[in-house]
Amino acid sequence: MWAALKAAYARMRGAIVGRAGSGEAADTDFDQELASHLTMLTDENERRGMSPEEARRAARLQLGGEAQLRETNRDLRGLPFFETFAQDVRYALRMLRKNPGFTAVAVLTLALGIGANTAIFSVVYAVLLKPLPYPRPSELYNVSQYPASESGTKIGGWSYLNLEDLRRDSNIFTAVAGSNSHQLTLTGRGEPAMMNTSVVTGEFFQVFGEQPLLGRVFTPDDAKVGGAPVVVLSENLWRGIFHADPSIIGQSIQLDKKEFTVVGVMPSRFRFPLLTESEQLWVPLPQDPLFGGWIDRRGGHWLGVNARMKPGVSMAQAQAEMDALAARMAKDFPENRDWLISVAPLQNVMTGDVRIALFALLGAVGLVLLIACANIANLLLTRATSRAREMAVRVALGAGRARIVRQLLSETAVLGLLGGVAGVALAYWGVVALSAMLPESVPRVNAIRVDHFVLGFALVLSLVASIGFGLAPALFAASGDLQNNLREGTGRSGESGGRRKMRSVLAAAEIALAMVLLVTAGLLLRSFSKMMASDPGFQPQNVVKADVSLPRFEYATPEKWNEFGSQLITQVQSEPGMQNSALAVPMPVTDGFVNLGFEIVGAPPLAPGALQTGDYVAVSPDYFRVMEIPLLAGRTFNAHDAMDSARVTLISKTLAQRYFPNEDPIGKQLSFSFPPDPGTPREIVGIVGDVRDVALDKNPGPMMYVPFAQAPLPGAGVVVRSSMSTSNVTAALQRSVAKIDKDLPVNDVKKMPDELEESVAQPRFRTMLIGLFAAMALVLAATGIFGVISYSVSCRTHDIGIRMALGASRQSVLRMILRETLLLAVAGLVVGIPCALAASHLIAHLLFNVSANDPLTIAAVGIALATVALLAGYIPARRAMAVDPMLALRHE
Amino acid sequence: MAAERSEILQGTLDLMVLKTLAAMGSLHGYGIARRIEQLSQSALEINQGTIYASLVRLGQRGWIASEWGTSDNNRKAKFYSITKAGRKQLHTETAEWERISGIVGRVLRVSERG
Repeated sequence: MWAALKAAYARMRGAIVGRAGSGEAADTDFDQELASHLTMLTDENERRGMSPEEARRAARLQLGGEAQLRETNRDLRGLPFFETFAQDVRYALRMLRKNPGFTAVAVLTLALGIGANTAIFSVVYAVLLKPLPYPRPSELYNVSQYPASESGTKIGGWSYLNLEDLRRDSNIFTAVAGSNSHQLTLTGRGEPAMMNTSVVTGEFFQVFGEQPLLGRVFTPDDAKVGGAPVVVLSENLWRGIFHADPSIIGQSIQLDKKEFTVVGVMPSRFRFPLLTESEQLWVPLPQDPLFGGWIDRRGGHWLGVNARMKPGVSMAQAQAEMDALAARMAKDFPENRDWLISVAPLQNVMTGDVRIALFALLGAVGLVLLIACANIANLLLTRATSRAREMAVRVALGAGRARIVRQLLSETAVLGLLGGVAGVALAYWGVVALSAMLPESVPRVNAIRVDHFVLGFALVLSLVASIGFGLAPALFAASGDLQNNLREGTGRSGESGGRRKMRSVLAAAEIALAMVLLVTAGLLLRSFSKMMASDPGFQPQNVVKADVSLPRFEYATPEKWNEFGSQLITQVQSEPGMQNSALAVPMPVTDGFVNLGFEIVGAPPLAPGALQTGDYVAVSPDYFRVMEIPLLAGRTFNAHDAMDSARVTLISKTLAQRYFPNEDPIGKQLSFSFPPDPGTPREIVGIVGDVRDVALDKNPGPMMYVPFAQAPLPGAGVVVRSSMSTSNVTAALQRSVAKIDKDLPVNDVKKMPDELEESVAQPRFRTMLIGLFAAMALVLAATGIFGVISYSVSCRTHDIGIRMALGASRQSVLRMILRETLLLAVAGLVVGIPCALAASHLIAHLLFNVSANDPLTIAAVGIALATVALLAGYIPARRAMAVDPMLALRHE
Repeated sequence: MAAERSEILQGTLDLMVLKTLAAMGSLHGYGIARRIEQLSQSALEINQGTIYASLVRLGQRGWIASEWGTSDNNRKAKFYSITKAGRKQLHTETAEWERISGIVGRVLRVSERG
């Protein structure tokens, strides 16, 4: 072992020192040694009676070929592989310097490909692949209790009682915790402010395994029903509002007008949920003003549950255990009938719907790089043709085929690395741009950067790419016909048929790849324009929304909520220019949606497992007028639909069509199983138009509205249609709220059109990027075609000259070249269309009201590509037309 | 290229060079080559030059040392001698060699008998 190391060191030293000059000394030394050996052999031979001449000849034979011995000796002293590699690299750099045009084009093309790939990969890595920022993240799992009807998405939730059963009965987890988020109002510390609050069960911090910066995390006692109210702050919150006060532990703060004792501060690196702002606080579930009241109901599904798995438990084992638990829970409690449980790695669950889009993006940039590689391979093939003579000379001088392939691959590796370096520089810039553009709803955006992992990816990518584009040309170069190439001089017309075919295949492949990208981009663009053109169901222009929440301890009863709501709307409407205003909870598009079950009074009972749901919104009477949601039948709410009058509801067009297909729903009754008034029949008094309440790209589902006065909530969203500026509207809202309660903040003032835009931020982002990549692909493919056709023209100058001398018209020459171009394009399209269809089916999820086989898009892209190809071929074709037959003939 | 020769052949030659140096003390390349020819009674037909690859390899591993000197008949020549590490290596390699040739011999005897 030691001796081997020593030998390796000696050879390495030989390799390095050898180049510096003392290698010559070693060579001389060996020469002298051989000379001395020869002399001694000759002496011996002479002593045996040979003539001096004979003795010398015999000695040479006995010793063996001196040149070969010298070569062996030199190789043994150093590292021949690396030395020739270094020599190849030096040679490659010289070649690249001598052809600045080729080098610039190749490096730029590669830099674009590698830069785009590296930038997108850094996003994919940070968002999808990088381990979650918690200790031993692979042990973290999300456990979902979901209705059997949601077997696709597995989206659901847990009630506190079900969660306690899970925690007690399963023994595959070391800790299990439920959580939900909302906002609490902090008062008594400057301006009243809304705090992002995570409501968590006792083992929450054990699941995530993070230690506090100050104080302690929750103990099981804190999380018991009736425990003292305590709170843990995030570091940024503590440094912000609490000025990093070290004595904060043990102090009391007011949340929703209730006193909570601060027990700990979590370091800023700890975030859960990952999407929330860095300023937040955590309170134990039973002490929470809102969720604390829900813990004794088994039927709810409102807690997200995460758990830390015991080491060594397999996914299959965990899932089997959960299946058994679901069956047991369904047997013990009727509320759990038709609810299943699934376990999945937390990381996958967190990144859910972003996954497809990001992998689609990665696929798209991968295609761009492939096209770039095909382009460079084409350039190299062209060069290999003009270098055929050089290679022939090398072979004639004794270079082996492997040696030539190695030299050419070294050249392309140098090219690849140059492109890689330029690409990484581009990627740095690209990542900054991407981070700014990424929609906020993408998790872990703040973790995106070009780090050593991403750099390693770029390095590997450039090497793989350089082998990808370099191998075929290198093999072709080494396989050339020696005799022919030596004879042919410039090699201008000496291109082998194989090489020409290879070049055409590459150009056609570029067209095919570009087709895939362009079709994908076209489909996404059409989807996006359909999204933007889709009718939200209301008029968003000039509408501003805001949010006012009530502290639940001060405003404890529905009567108080109702009183506040009616005061609020009266005050707001009394402000000048604010007459068109109304309340809504939850606010469509911005607040998300609340999907709840309903029954039709008098209808036969539902089949078990069947769900009949609609999105539920409580609104003030003017809501439909303000939002300009059309009334299709019956009446809207009015001031008489109050707490003490008969319960009423309005339904959307889709609900009416789906559940009352052949009858008039007006006068029929619905009953809801949730508060307020569960089970009380509500008369349907009208039908209103559909609204895209989730997002612009989600088609409207059934909706049901109730009067806010009959179903009040602690706080409300306010919508105002006004010609005043947003800041004036905000000021008016703040004045109105302060007149009722000076401690109440007005939050989240947004323009409705902005909210609609925001709801399609993710589709916008991916459409824009894939569009950009498709444009790059188109340009690259066009240059590819241009390169192939112009090279083909320049090779055939002589041939064209003869044709023209024999009477061919310029038009027929033009036609000939264009026909050649069109042939390439058509070949590319024939291969490209099935590939494009396969790709578009992969992203069918991301399409909106556009079929993955959309013939219009495919036809448009095909025509566009053929046109671009013809244009790219037209320039060299013009040159062919301009050939002077006399000049071309004399050229040889 | 010598490096592509079979490992055993290379190893055997290296071992013979070491053995020669251990037995004869300081010796130049020509002397080593002659000695190996004599010992093998010319059964091993090699170019004398081949031993120089061996000498480089052994030198790199630190098993032999070399210096320029003058031969018996007053010729300038490079003299090689075995080092301490070289003797140790020779010892282990000889034991290994004997073990292997013992096994080979036994196998051959058995197959002759069967």
